[in-house]
Amino acid sequence: MATPERVAIAAAGAVTPVGPDLEAFWSALVTGASGISQIERFPVSDLRVQRGGEVKKLGRIKDWCGVPDCRATRLLIAAADDLCAQAGFRPLPLDPARVAVVVGTALGGVEEGEKALEGDRPRRRFRDALYDGPGDRLARWLGARGPVITVSTACASGASALATGADLLRRDEADAVVAGGYDALCRFVLRGFNALRSLTRDEVRPFDRRRSGLLLGEAGALALLVRERDLRGPRLGTVLGYGSASDGFHIAAPEPEGRGLERAIRAALADARVSPRDIDLVSAHGTATLLNDRIETAALKRALGPRAYEVPVNSIKGGLGHTMGAAAALEAFMCLLSAQRGLIPPTLHLEEPDPECDLDHVPGRARAARPRIMLSTSMGFGGCNGALVLEAA
Amino acid sequence: MRAPAVRALGVLSGQGPGSGSAPIWTLPRPERPGDRFRRATRECLLALAAVDAMLEDGKAPREAIAGERTALLYVTAAAYGASNREFIERRGGVMHFAYTAPAVVPAEVAIEFGVTGAYGILLGGAPSTLRAIEQAARLLDEDRCDRALLLAVEIFEECGDLYARHRRYTRWPLVETAACLWLERGAGELRFQSSRVAKAPGPARGAGERFAAGPLADLREWLDRGAAGPLELSGRWRDEHARLGWSTVRSHARGSAA
Repeated sequence: MATPERVAIAAAGAVTPVGPDLEAFWSALVTGASGISQIERFPVSDLRVQRGGEVKKLGRIKDWCGVPDCRATRLLIAAADDLCAQAGFRPLPLDPARVAVVVGTALGGVEEGEKALEGDRPRRRFRDALYDGPGDRLARWLGARGPVITVSTACASGASALATGADLLRRDEADAVVAGGYDALCRFVLRGFNALRSLTRDEVRPFDRRRSGLLLGEAGALALLVRERDLRGPRLGTVLGYGSASDGFHIAAPEPEGRGLERAIRAALADARVSPRDIDLVSAHGTATLLNDRIETAALKRALGPRAYEVPVNSIKGGLGHTMGAAAALEAFMCLLSAQRGLIPPTLHLEEPDPECDLDHVPGRARAARPRIMLSTSMGFGGCNGALVLEAA
Repeated sequence: MRAPAVRALGVLSGQGPGSGSAPIWTLPRPERPGDRFRRATRECLLALAAVDAMLEDGKAPREAIAGERTALLYVTAAAYGASNREFIERRGGVMHFAYTAPAVVPAEVAIEFGVTGAYGILLGGAPSTLRAIEQAARLLDEDRCDRALLLAVEIFEECGDLYARHRRYTRWPLVETAACLWLERGAGELRFQSSRVAKAPGPARGAGERFAAGPLADLREWLDRGAAGPLELSGRWRDEHARLGWSTVRSHARGSAA
């Protein structure tokens, strides 16, 4: 079988609840800083849980001229601005028709729909309410004229987007792809998760026996993908493989044995042509809900065998909240930065490990290590499971 | 890329003319027995009905599509608008929130028919559907599945007033459509092309606008006409125009000559 085209992550950019760029993101992860705060941007006084990972400062952009007043779009563009700064370009020195955009989202521009229905400039907001609106705006801002794709596999969307972007390069549909994920906190989603009683009033404690739920966060996370053979200059790492699988079980709850996630992990390892023994770090979905963490631990044990007990398995949602469409992309960046910087961020607020979550979930402090091959797992509404395999630069 | 074979295709299409301010050709909410569907949205029930129609077209039992060797791809431009609006306007209960996620439409299909293989969800219009056919062909070609289902659903009625207020953004009439295409390994060549244009060509006059479901409705028409020779499907969305060339459509679907 022919060796597949290798796709590099040349650079990454992010805006997150812990800071306006990728460096702030990394610093917070390794120092254990938290971005969870009282939500201030929209009214929450009627909601049971009023905290989340809200982005207080939208990057360095001062002039939003020409960019609509749409939070989701601005998160994406703030992340793109950081990506451009990291990669040292804008516009890309390429034929615009060969630059593609692939973004993953769970909510798209739904807040625009919410505002439009409340009578706030409905004509202007209507188009941005479509879930693929922010991706289209990002392409315009970047000057990209290649394919513009929006994927929405719920909270696994960021992983799907990176994999879809890599596929575009392998099929020679583009020479560069800006890919990643985003989602904005808004009343729509906060009201929904409040109603589902998935949110905690405590800290987010992945894999802790006291865990009582998640908190939502917002973020934009974008990577510049290019074929390795075309790359001049440094890179963060390589997208080695991707796998997905449906639970076929329940629209909102994960399958109790984690069989779907297990299938996704096995498919990703096969796609990457690596074995469980090659994995050095797992970035878990780790939402801190009672079900997710137990199910994920069980799925990792079955998919990785004895190796599951030998590798660090962390979650970064304790300090960011669950950033939905951006989560998997941020977790992929964490993996690659860990390899680059030689430090694995801890699982924040994990203090009393759950006996059913008995892997090395990296409690306490950041750990010195330099992983080479990394696995990032994601699960979402509708039984969407995704797994990415990444290789260090 | 190797072209996939069409094993079956189910298409449910709205009947016009519609009433009210927006000429929308609507599909009725299908009935489905079982308590599980008590809260299911119309787009979910239409997706299930489209799969039923596909199985009928292929004269296949539901077990034929179950399992982890079946991939499921879902495409829509706006079907989630109805459930989002319902939730925003506080008409939904606790569980309704889950139904606002686009991912829940293929999830209902996966649950009902036991489909547990690879999946993908693209949001956008007809070019996304053509891209998804290509993605399905690749999954088959790379042996990541034995069959791929491509589901497309578009409903408009619940947001008809909004579409009417923004008439210049779309073509009319809006035709509600739910479709499911069953692809298997085939022969011949499949070629996908996409470009961005200042003003993309729209659908033929009178054909109606079906967003992401358009290419599957076109394929159904083509099969019903006898399915001879090469096929080209095309579509546009925003400023993207895409074409999918199928050198040989090997088909077992009803109405096919091959």
